[in-house]
Amino acid sequence: MKVVECNELTKEHGQRKALSNLSVTIEENKITGLIGRNGSGKTTLLKILAGFWAESSGQVNVFSNRPFNSLFVSANTVFVDDQMNFPTALTLKEILEQASKFYEKWDMDLALRLFDYFSFDSKQIHNNLSKGNRSTFNMIIGLASRCALTIFDEPTTGMDAAVRKDFYRALLKDYLAHPRSIIISSHYLDELEVVLEDVLLIEEGSNLLHMPIEELKEYAIGLSGSSDQIDGWISDIDVVHTNTVGLDSKYAAVKNDFTGEALEQIKRSGVQVSSVSPGDLCVYLTQTTTGGIDDVFDRS
Amino acid sequence: MMSLTDPSLAVVVRKQIQFKMKSCIGMFSTLIVLQLIALVFSFGGTGMMGGTRSSLEYEMNYYSADIILVFTMLWAFINAILIKTKDYREDDFVFVTNRVSSNLSNIVLLLIVSIVGAITAMLSSYLLRIGIYFFSDNKEIIYTEVEFLELLTGIIAAGLFIFLFSGLGYIIGTLVQLNKTFAFIIPVVFLGFIFLVEMSSEVHLLLEIGKFYFNEESFWLLTSKTIMTSGLLFTAAMLVSNRLEVKQ
Repeated sequence: MKVVECNELTKEHGQRKALSNLSVTIEENKITGLIGRNGSGKTTLLKILAGFWAESSGQVNVFSNRPFNSLFVSANTVFVDDQMNFPTALTLKEILEQASKFYEKWDMDLALRLFDYFSFDSKQIHNNLSKGNRSTFNMIIGLASRCALTIFDEPTTGMDAAVRKDFYRALLKDYLAHPRSIIISSHYLDELEVVLEDVLLIEEGSNLLHMPIEELKEYAIGLSGSSDQIDGWISDIDVVHTNTVGLDSKYAAVKNDFTGEALEQIKRSGVQVSSVSPGDLCVYLTQTTTGGIDDVFDRS
Repeated sequence: MMSLTDPSLAVVVRKQIQFKMKSCIGMFSTLIVLQLIALVFSFGGTGMMGGTRSSLEYEMNYYSADIILVFTMLWAFINAILIKTKDYREDDFVFVTNRVSSNLSNIVLLLIVSIVGAITAMLSSYLLRIGIYFFSDNKEIIYTEVEFLELLTGIIAAGLFIFLFSGLGYIIGTLVQLNKTFAFIIPVVFLGFIFLVEMSSEVHLLLEIGKFYFNEESFWLLTSKTIMTSGLLFTAAMLVSNRLEVKQ
């Protein structure tokens, strides 16, 4: 079954297009990483999927329903981000109790065990939590609600490295026990890699690529060697990124379309061949400027 | 495949009302504080007359709990605006909701709140009498005996007026949410319209509106007038907010 279907989805904020003609399909029970640079439209897409915002044009379906104003989609979706607003009159424990009433599949046992593990105090008020703790508490809501579509928008904001690690592990364990569709948007693809099955990379509101993480790892290879050599090899192939190292060395990330034979040839010519991590690849693919930050300071 | 849940609108609205009753507990404490303040004001009396007749000099003070009711209506008005501000509004959307259920639960909450406000406001007139008895020098108190049925009609009528005011606040809150400039436009248009009408036709609009609702002798006419007006206000608010986006 298709959990999310977007067809030519466009969202305009005034003059600016936050999403432009985005088409994507997400199958059920997958953990999908939504990756993109700042302002690429990640949050906009997720808020439309959760039914908070209305699309400007195109079609969007979640569980075959238009999410905006749908009670059905709302009941089966949980949206977690660092802006979650809870009534200040309720303590953390009371918030969990209220959540359990709204979400039919809520697992109170899991919620309380996570609550204790992260040493929350049941009398605390959500507004008074630190940024990291707030994110951690929101994450508990997201996991324990066991919604068929669980959306995490930058869930690790403010969390320290240890909690982030715990979160990814908790997410994976709970997913294995109770498979469901999870979408996580994040900047840190490197950390997230281990839990993801699919990656959806968006750039300027459009679908740049959507593929299993395993394929993404094979998508490109890195070549490094002297500039002349590299330029010779990459002249007629799909180059993702190049970077000059020092005076005469060059690094190029290129699309991995080589036959085994060609690759052997490259290696024999003295060029070093390396793999490109999905995290680096996504940065290269979404680079809007030529060159890097160095060129800003390099005025010669 | 993972099973999906499909709750009915009624179930979600009921849960949201319970949720809001818990989270809006602050509303009730402000109600108590406000009514106490109004009670203190009421000790001053709402009117006075006096005179002398041969060797007799007399003075009469009128006391009524009207100020308490007026305060309660203002409280309902402000609460209805507050419930539509960003903080309260987004509390809804953290759990299961859509705009219809959010509005319906808000309306029921305001209705409950209006009834509570009406009961306490009407009963406070007894507290006022006790207060006057203890704190006033004049020990002669003449009061109108109120039968239970009359008290009940009084509470219902007061509740309807309070609800009407919350409806007014609710539509204003919704319009302001639609566009912030309404916060300036509404008072300007409202006052400007009143002045214009008064200048051109010598009719004071506020007074006329007040007469239309408050000087109604028939209980049933009063009930239908207030219910129909608040119904209109709330329906308009629901239609407007059905297109609104949240979490921004």
